[in-house]
Amino acid sequence: MTAIETHDLTKRYGDVVALDGIDLSIREGEVFGFLGPNGAGKTTTIDLLLDFIRPTDGSATVLGYDAQAEADAVRERVGVLPDGFDLWERSSGYRHLEFAIESKGGDEDPDGLLERVGLEREDARRRVGDYSKGMKQRLAMAMALVGDPDLLILDEPSTGLDPHGIRTMQELVRERAADGTTVFFSSHILSQVSAVCDRVGILDEGELVTVDTIEGLRETAGAGSRLFVRVADEPTVDLEGIEGVTDVALGDGSVTATYVEPAAKATVVHRLVENDVDVLDFEIREPTLEDLFEAYTNGDLKVTDGQATKASPSATTAGSADVASVEVDR
Amino acid sequence: MSYRLVARKDFEDVVRSKMLWSILGVFVLLMAIISFGIGTNDLGDATWVEILGLFNSLGAQLLIPVTALIFGYMAIAGERQSGSLRILFGLSHDRRDVVFGKFCSRVAVMVVAAVLLCLVTLGVALALFGVPDVGTFLAFAGLTVLLAASFTGIAVGISSLTGNRAKAMGGAIGSYVVFVLLWHPFVAAVHYLSAGELVGYDAPSWYFLLLRLNPLVAYRDALGLLTDQYLWPMIGWSTIVEDVSMEQASGDALLLTNRLSGDLPFYLTEWGSVVVLLAWLVVPVAVGYWHFSRADLN
Repeated sequence: MTAIETHDLTKRYGDVVALDGIDLSIREGEVFGFLGPNGAGKTTTIDLLLDFIRPTDGSATVLGYDAQAEADAVRERVGVLPDGFDLWERSSGYRHLEFAIESKGGDEDPDGLLERVGLEREDARRRVGDYSKGMKQRLAMAMALVGDPDLLILDEPSTGLDPHGIRTMQELVRERAADGTTVFFSSHILSQVSAVCDRVGILDEGELVTVDTIEGLRETAGAGSRLFVRVADEPTVDLEGIEGVTDVALGDGSVTATYVEPAAKATVVHRLVENDVDVLDFEIREPTLEDLFEAYTNGDLKVTDGQATKASPSATTAGSADVASVEVDR
Repeated sequence: MSYRLVARKDFEDVVRSKMLWSILGVFVLLMAIISFGIGTNDLGDATWVEILGLFNSLGAQLLIPVTALIFGYMAIAGERQSGSLRILFGLSHDRRDVVFGKFCSRVAVMVVAAVLLCLVTLGVALALFGVPDVGTFLAFAGLTVLLAASFTGIAVGISSLTGNRAKAMGGAIGSYVVFVLLWHPFVAAVHYLSAGELVGYDAPSWYFLLLRLNPLVAYRDALGLLTDQYLWPMIGWSTIVEDVSMEQASGDALLLTNRLSGDLPFYLTEWGSVVVLLAWLVVPVAVGYWHFSRADLN
């Protein structure tokens, strides 16, 4: 059975097309990454799955139930961590969990849930109005886990989380997935999606650009990774022959190598040093989400200098944990 | 059944609101000041029901509707704007649970507040006049609770029709403006257009029915009939948009039983008021739910 299935799912607001004929099929037990920049239609899709809004066209089923006609059955079996939510600030963290457990008919121990998401019991006794964004996010994550849902829908789950919190959240996703829970994970951060997901759908301006395995995505992403080396003077070294390097550009005081094999990086630097080139500095430029779109829509990958590091989602938004997870994965 | 969970959760949150208790505190303070002022006067042959007249202008025409609107207008629109509605949906509550649960909880809060206000009024009556007539007091309390509930219904109804705070607030303020400022002139205009002249002291009963459809008027009329005294609204429209002189408006002359000859038709009795208030309790929220259940909630 499929966990989520959409046919030509479309949402228009007047002339504005928020979602344009999305066909998705997500298997049960899969961790599916839903990747796209803010405003691409990720939340619109989730809202349609939960009958928060109604489609202009097309249909969706969740866990075999019609998302509109059988919305109650869907919500009973789904845990949701929405994007941009508020909690009830006059209630304590414990009261929130209690409410979630009552609502879902779960039998969880609130303390166990707190531990799982990394919230202190002392904090759970405080009113949620005093919580930081990250604490609210952890609490909402705990609420989403209540009742052992068959499907977890996480919309930008790393919002407000510090690197440690992001790691906890990723562990939770892997752990639930190992128990057979389907996870639908939306994010605008490439590295977060690639850290936990089996397959990834890329959404841009309401259109599903591609659905690919994480390997396929990595290959495409890897094809565009570039090593940028600052050197003392113009080098005259042949780097073209290195395995995994697809392109080399020599400039005044710089070497830029495009590669598909991660191992090629070290070889490039090694070759430069071997030939007595004075290496001043080097950095790695990962392709951004925008580059990926381009790769999938145009068939080739283009990384613009400067923009690459600046716009790199992993560098700007998520901090060190992301970088770490990227390195582990590669 | 899950509306009960929503209602209980919401009730807990609202009764923790400092604003609610501040408003009630202000009322108690005002009642205390006024009764102290009255207490130092020669009460003469005044009776305890005059306290109800005081309650009408201070509590029923102003504090209760305003408090109910304040605590109702964000009930649904607030959850929708803040996104906590998504959390509620994620916890397997549906649209009906949300609207009905919120409605029940806010009505419950306002019923508690209204009962407290009635008890304060009872205290003032006891202090100044001794034990009041139990039947009249209970009828007064019942009407007051119903008034509080119906304004909550109006507020929650407005709240479920709108998607954000600004619109909901506009609707809530607008509804009060309509009831206090526009209703009477509008009904007078209807009479003027159909009869070709301003309505006089003697007016047809349909004219009073149209006025009565306003929940504030319904309450005032019923309490007036109950205690046999004319209760003034916030703005004395009768001497402005009706062809009624100051002399004709003096004392209790404007009481319905004085302006209409013979027995009052049912819809102009106290029970007619009860029907009107019940309708305001149910209809706006039903319309609001009808809209909400079909709306895109983002």
